[in-house]
Amino acid sequence: MVSLLMCAVLLAPEAAQPQPTSEQIRFFEANIRPLLAEKCLKCHGGRKQWGGLRLDSREALMKGGESGAAVIPGNPGESLLIELIRETDKDVRMPKDGQLTRRQIDDLGRWIEMGTPYPASTTGTQHKRDPNHWAFHPPKEQPLPNVKNSNWPQTPIDHFILATLEAAGITPTPRADRRTLIRRVTFDLIGLPPTPQEIDAFLADESPGAFARVVDRLLASRRYGERWGRHWLDVARFADSNGFDENVAHANAWRYRDYVVESFNRDKPFDRFVIEQLAGDLLPFDSEAQQHEQLIATGFLSIGPKVLAETDQSKMRMDIIDEQIDTTGRAFLALTLGCARCHDHKFDPIDTADYYGLAGIFKSTLTMTRYTKVAEWHEHLLPSAEAKATKADFEARIAAKKKAIAELAGRGDSGAGLQPARNKQQDDKAGSKPAPQIEAQLKKLKQELAALEKEGPNLPSAMGVTEDKIVDVAIHLRGDPLKLGEVVPRHAPPVLRGPHVPKFSDKQSGRREFADWLVDPNHPLTARVIVNRVWRWHFGKGLVRSIDNFGLLGERPSHPELLDWLARRFVADGWSIKSLHRMIVMSSTYQQSSSRSRETSGENESLTTSAAGDPDNRLFSRADVRRLEAEAVRDALLATSGQLDTTMGGSLLKLKNRAYFFDHTSKDLTTYDSRRRSLYLPVVRNHVYNVFQLLDFPDPAVTSGDRATTVVASQALLMLNSDIVMQAAGSFAERLIADLDNDDLRLTRLYAIAFGRLPTPDERRADLAFLNRVEQAQSNENTDMQRKKAWSTLCHVVLASNEFLYVR
Amino acid sequence: MLSRRTLLERTAVGFGSLALASMLADESSADTPSANPLAGKPSHFPARAKRIIFLLMSGGPSQVDTFDPKPLLTRDHGKPFPFAKPRVQFNSTKNLLRSPWRFRQYGESGLWVSELFPHVATRVDDLCMVHSCYGTNPSHGGAMMKLHTGSDNFIRPGIGSWVSYGLGTENANLPAFVTICPTLAFGGVNNWSSSFLPAVHNGTALGDASVPAEKAQVKFIQNSKLPRQIQQLQLDRLNAMNRRHLRRSGGDASLEARINSFELAFRMQSSIPQLEDLSRETPATLKLYGMDDPGTANFGRMCLLARRFAEAGVRFIQVTHNDDKVQWDQHNNLKRDHEKNAAEVDLPIAGLLTDLKQRGMLDDTLIWWGSEFGRTPTAETADGRDHNPEGFTMWLAGGGVKGGFRYGSTDDYGYYAAENKVHIHDFHATMLHAMGLDHERLTYRHAGRDFRLTDVEGNVVHELFA
Repeated sequence: MVSLLMCAVLLAPEAAQPQPTSEQIRFFEANIRPLLAEKCLKCHGGRKQWGGLRLDSREALMKGGESGAAVIPGNPGESLLIELIRETDKDVRMPKDGQLTRRQIDDLGRWIEMGTPYPASTTGTQHKRDPNHWAFHPPKEQPLPNVKNSNWPQTPIDHFILATLEAAGITPTPRADRRTLIRRVTFDLIGLPPTPQEIDAFLADESPGAFARVVDRLLASRRYGERWGRHWLDVARFADSNGFDENVAHANAWRYRDYVVESFNRDKPFDRFVIEQLAGDLLPFDSEAQQHEQLIATGFLSIGPKVLAETDQSKMRMDIIDEQIDTTGRAFLALTLGCARCHDHKFDPIDTADYYGLAGIFKSTLTMTRYTKVAEWHEHLLPSAEAKATKADFEARIAAKKKAIAELAGRGDSGAGLQPARNKQQDDKAGSKPAPQIEAQLKKLKQELAALEKEGPNLPSAMGVTEDKIVDVAIHLRGDPLKLGEVVPRHAPPVLRGPHVPKFSDKQSGRREFADWLVDPNHPLTARVIVNRVWRWHFGKGLVRSIDNFGLLGERPSHPELLDWLARRFVADGWSIKSLHRMIVMSSTYQQSSSRSRETSGENESLTTSAAGDPDNRLFSRADVRRLEAEAVRDALLATSGQLDTTMGGSLLKLKNRAYFFDHTSKDLTTYDSRRRSLYLPVVRNHVYNVFQLLDFPDPAVTSGDRATTVVASQALLMLNSDIVMQAAGSFAERLIADLDNDDLRLTRLYAIAFGRLPTPDERRADLAFLNRVEQAQSNENTDMQRKKAWSTLCHVVLASNEFLYVR
Repeated sequence: MLSRRTLLERTAVGFGSLALASMLADESSADTPSANPLAGKPSHFPARAKRIIFLLMSGGPSQVDTFDPKPLLTRDHGKPFPFAKPRVQFNSTKNLLRSPWRFRQYGESGLWVSELFPHVATRVDDLCMVHSCYGTNPSHGGAMMKLHTGSDNFIRPGIGSWVSYGLGTENANLPAFVTICPTLAFGGVNNWSSSFLPAVHNGTALGDASVPAEKAQVKFIQNSKLPRQIQQLQLDRLNAMNRRHLRRSGGDASLEARINSFELAFRMQSSIPQLEDLSRETPATLKLYGMDDPGTANFGRMCLLARRFAEAGVRFIQVTHNDDKVQWDQHNNLKRDHEKNAAEVDLPIAGLLTDLKQRGMLDDTLIWWGSEFGRTPTAETADGRDHNPEGFTMWLAGGGVKGGFRYGSTDDYGYYAAENKVHIHDFHATMLHAMGLDHERLTYRHAGRDFRLTDVEGNVVHELFA
């Protein structure tokens, strides 16, 4: 309560305007702001003030014009505004150019009644289609801000964060203890809990640079790419199935997933990563391996969901192009370009012509080999010695079958050598016809041959795109492929200032040129967007909160100078993601504790604490408590119970390429009983693994840089009753009982593995009492079994607990 | 991190939100009227219906064989369809194909019903038939998503989630949106997921179309290995651990909410099975739903469950008729399979209508019978019809709509919606209207703009209301 009030006071300094609720803001933005803009502000806004009246802020409304206050907040009946819009005399009535509808009048009344909330345009609607929007111009060079507490900063980031905190009179939260830190950074960088040995080593290392060595170890681990690659797969809307209407298998999508993991592990420069995903097929290569890698990278453009049974082929084609534009726009630019398919973007200065300028690039790109339902996507064959061998092997198998058939047929004709197998009846019908056994065998062989031929040699291939006929596209009026407007030459949206203007030729689709434009060091968005994504994945929220939208409807950055500084530094560091990680996790900002103590350190009475001054932690004045993501929950369950299989890469999908996951039977045959890391489990659109679905795994059909964290009762049911948790608890218990011979030691180990700390005496007592009670409750079993079960129930509780599932 | 309020909005403690509401009561004054995302919310205007039961006939029953008789189709059997066929068709069809079933008029209203639905026919004076429904997508997947979410090219929340979001639940121990044996195909979970609405508005699925209704369960609702007594001990220990952790972490709303969610989940473990337990229903009631006949028992159980969830305060209950094929998708074997399908649902649906009426619940319960599209009056095969989104029949009952009423029509052969056309968006707008919700005001801000179930479309068909 106290914090809420404080928050309201801090955020709403203008007199007597209570902080509008989000419901009110929604109402205002949906109904009132557009109405005022359309009907009133022409004459009562920034440009003109008829009658001395402005209606563009709450203060102006209350101040009113020549006739006095326009509104009395809370009292529509007494408000002049309402009186004038209801007036029956046309000469007096407002607005001059036509009466408002009943609904509009009601809405204005409702709005005044709720206290006339008039939020400043955080949504940017006031600056609709503003080409001067911050995100459309390149990041500026930023000096490191001066700070008073010069001891605090450890990396340049800290200067920016601390300067803002000092300006707000807030003191940062002290550094977290070492156990907390190593748990935090280990989950953060590799998505797994630290082992007790790793914790002990860190605690014992008192030399300078101990934490940096932990960070280096983690960044060098192969587990790192599995963690951070998975983050990128959220953005790439990665899935092993098409989803949508025809949920068929992407049996080769895993190659793209492995490519992403490997790219992160090798710290592939991000600019290179972007170019490969958009135009890898157009890049030169030095080796077969590099060629494959680059072809696989273009899977990014192909793995989106497609309506494969769309009967309107021209619509299907434009829908697929739309999905590519939309994903590319969100992933790299954090802009919703898709809106401009049917109309000029309502909020961002992206015109329909700009959309079709990009559509030309993707229409000149071949994604599909067939548009008739069920449509088929293109795959790159990956030629290699191995593929050659597979092909030769396949041909040999075909030849062998054919030979077997010929031989058998020959033998059947002669009828020799099979006499003993014949029965009397057949003997009666003796003749040149093959024996039934042979006929059956032949039939079987022929079927096998047909099946083999149909299956094909199954050569390694990868989803991806290649060049098509080079075309420019006409504007589709209202998105309708049947209503065409003028043809637009391919181009990049001109509102984004800074990078070179790409030149498109009639020789290439322009993907390469478009990708080069994206990673131009002066591009206003690409570096900012990825730096913000990385920040979000470390801290749980971005410097720009609307991770996938930097447009006018997105939020403004909380620390614009820091965002610019990081973006420029990132480019200067060769677009290295790992350098960015180091910069972030080595900072004092990152290493703060999550404590919300209200006590100040006493050094400076004028400063307030994070809890009091920054209740929502918008300024990064402490660490947030965060629940593990779906994959990390499962990986941690497997790791703590000693079951984790760290084999990397490959496919766990049991379906053939383009086979249906389940069509109409609703039986999903996908199994998830593997003990491999979570990112290797099949991602089935329309039917995501239920454990993941419950734990906020994002919809794999759309780009998602900002997963939600919900708390729902069905998650609790999962933790209480699911096999995956029960099995982990059982294995964990077995491991403790097998390794250690008394409960005290077992408890110590349990806490070390699961929580990374020692149990307190109170906890020991409570846990032992729990074990005894559970044992007593199961009377008719032998003692060993009882103890084992009791331990399993205790491990179950630990694995379901907040301390296990949250990182501080 | 999140503000406390945002967190509460996102915090879908769901089943048992009263506890959450009381936990937060001390700060509600500074905030919106209720911080609990599932608490009952006032409608925009007085509602006619408090809840919707949606009987989905998956696959597309044929309108010209069920509720929309076409004498000219019988007369011109075998002749070419005299108008242009749609530009986009799912498969190609041939000449006109008459209905193999006879139609009769029933009730005081004299509405026509074919031989396929003799029991529903006896309730015809409660039905409000809309013969002029049309959609845009001729494939099951696209049409199913359009029917549920209003969109066939984006993932959007379904109507059940919108109703949950708009009105909340009447029973704090239950979700607002339950779907019984939904099909996982053709959009699958997207048809009942909350998409960008808060997770609490997800449909809670009982089983799926691959299991019989008898075995349909909420995921993880029971523990097969641990007796309740031991689970209680676990819950107590877990609670103590979590409380300690909460103190040490300096108090965090999500940690608190999670503690609460376990208690609620534990209560749900008994409340949901109780609702599914039909042992207290009288033999007469069971018979009314056809539970005594193996042919109707499965769908009968779903309809009876729907009534029990409706009674318990769930806002939107969906029942899906879908076997291991696409139930009503008769590209061929129309005669055999439409007969079998209708026989499975006819008596249970009539039973549900009768039961609700007897209990005085039909007045404020809107029943919605329909499917993703209808079928062509032209022959795809000698005994089969293709998908047809251009004109088909859905009907409503109860919930303030006119009984024994027919609205709109198709052309003389039943191919295209002709008079008073009702698009899926209009149908959605109308049902929301019955629930007291203005489809233009039921919005949610996501990705920087306000979204609605009806996108930028939808007109309420006021003529349907009594």
